[in-house]
Amino acid sequence: MCENKIVTLAEDEPLNLDGGGSLSKFKTAYTTYGKLNDKKNNSILVCHALTGDQYVASDHPITKKNGWWSMVVGPDKPIDTNKFFVICPNVIGGCMGSTGPKEINPENGKEFATDFPVITIADMVRAQKLLIDYLGIEKIFCVTGGSMGGMLVLEWLSKFPEMVHSAVPIATATNHSAQNIALNELARQSIMADPNWQSGNYYHSDKKPMKGLSVARMAAHISYLSKEALQSKFGRNLQDKNSLDYSFDADFQIESYLRHQGFTFVDRFDANSYLYITRAMDYFDVSSANNGSLIEAFKNTQSKILCVSFTSDWLYPTSENKKIVKVFNSLGLNVSFIEIETENGHDSFLLDEPKFFEAIKGFINSTFENL
Amino acid sequence: MSLINENKDFGVIAELIPNNASVIDVGCNDGSLLEYLRKYKNIDGRGMEIDQKKVQLCLAKGISVIEGDADTDLYDYPDKLFDYSILTYTLQATKSPKTVMQQLVRISKKAIISFPNFGHWKIGASLLLNRKMPVSKKLSYSWHETPNLHFCTINDFIDLCEELEIKIEKKGDLSNKKLSNFSGKNFLDSYFNEVGLFLVSKD
Repeated sequence: MCENKIVTLAEDEPLNLDGGGSLSKFKTAYTTYGKLNDKKNNSILVCHALTGDQYVASDHPITKKNGWWSMVVGPDKPIDTNKFFVICPNVIGGCMGSTGPKEINPENGKEFATDFPVITIADMVRAQKLLIDYLGIEKIFCVTGGSMGGMLVLEWLSKFPEMVHSAVPIATATNHSAQNIALNELARQSIMADPNWQSGNYYHSDKKPMKGLSVARMAAHISYLSKEALQSKFGRNLQDKNSLDYSFDADFQIESYLRHQGFTFVDRFDANSYLYITRAMDYFDVSSANNGSLIEAFKNTQSKILCVSFTSDWLYPTSENKKIVKVFNSLGLNVSFIEIETENGHDSFLLDEPKFFEAIKGFINSTFENL
Repeated sequence: MSLINENKDFGVIAELIPNNASVIDVGCNDGSLLEYLRKYKNIDGRGMEIDQKKVQLCLAKGISVIEGDADTDLYDYPDKLFDYSILTYTLQATKSPKTVMQQLVRISKKAIISFPNFGHWKIGASLLLNRKMPVSKKLSYSWHETPNLHFCTINDFIDLCEELEIKIEKKGDLSNKKLSNFSGKNFLDSYFNEVGLFLVSKD
């Protein structure tokens, strides 16, 4: 259905980074679905979340599971690839083929590891812009994504407003709250506390920071779910046993579930990438380039926008998403907002949520018809 | 709270709105009024709707709509952002009609407000003769299930506008599809108009 492509970008001039330093001749791995039409006005850029990647609608090469948004992107899906040309790049700093800490630094022939520069969401967007230029697209029909993907959408609207016809930021925020940063710090510290992390230089070692990364994933996973969802799915049910063991084994189903989430995650994700990408999310503030003014940040935005939040999402709650809506309203933009009622928490945007699908489909198709 | 004779009402409302105006319809239902105004007046429209099913219908029509509540979400808009705000058949269902009206005239240069007139003679007669809360085409709910919280009469509305120093510019007579300049309370309107429709503003 699609193949993974890798392109080298910034070949002539380097990509300057927010934190100083630059990346030149960096790689971007991406997938595309559907066909770019003659007018080149049917492209949809899908931005993935923290642990997502370019396999948005095709089977993952490592896990062999369906793409992370295969319910949304595909033929006759809410984002219909019969109609739209969908592009999904792996962010820089990622670990599925785009330049990141586990890739080889062309300057010394070794993995970057922690020599990789600290990057920002804006850097990721500048890198994505080079890909869009490379694909010969002047104006993207729609940029969408949830969670960190939503941050990338907001950054696109602020940095390259003239290139974005419409946008769907989902379950996101203009910056991280102290609570968001705290959770990411917990994850980073658990990776760095693993002796196998070895200051990031574990690529040629037999020992990899699997436990640290696994615990990081477990903590993060809790934040993706709601209390109600955890309770109704697991409650205090025991795992394959009838009574407590009076040990530290996984007695409860929730323990076993989290351990499984952690263990399987380390097969497909790089611990250093996790450090870099969570850092980028914590640093993100779409207004930072505009003295903290969100109005200034979006003053040139003309796009048609749909903001989506989920009732049980406590990581990027409705209040944060409404803050974005308020800014767009203040600017008189064509903004829509919908709050989907669900108990699935922050993860809702990745799950089967028919009302969410209907909203995206309605917005995208009607916007395309009125092009 | 479906609008009866929608298009008739729409036509009267459309007459009040100049071409290319920016308009927010608060309680925009499925977006049909905005769609109508977009078609005939080329307006730049926005909607606000509390019912998610209707929000979905608006999105599918390409109408920009905020899932929100007139009582709480109008504060998000800056002063005089819109040329016109519209509140059809919603005032009586808000928690605080007074603050909603104040918000409407704040966020728009002019506001068009319509509501069922509880002073209509049939309602009076129903109360007087049957001693029962009136149920009619326009007021289709029984007292125990109605979403309507604050019924008022045309005269009550006029008094509230006076109290809030809101200027009434025009009044509408929907059954005769007629608009006229407002010149104070009028016995005929308050008895015979099933719906009060007014164009108001506050500088």
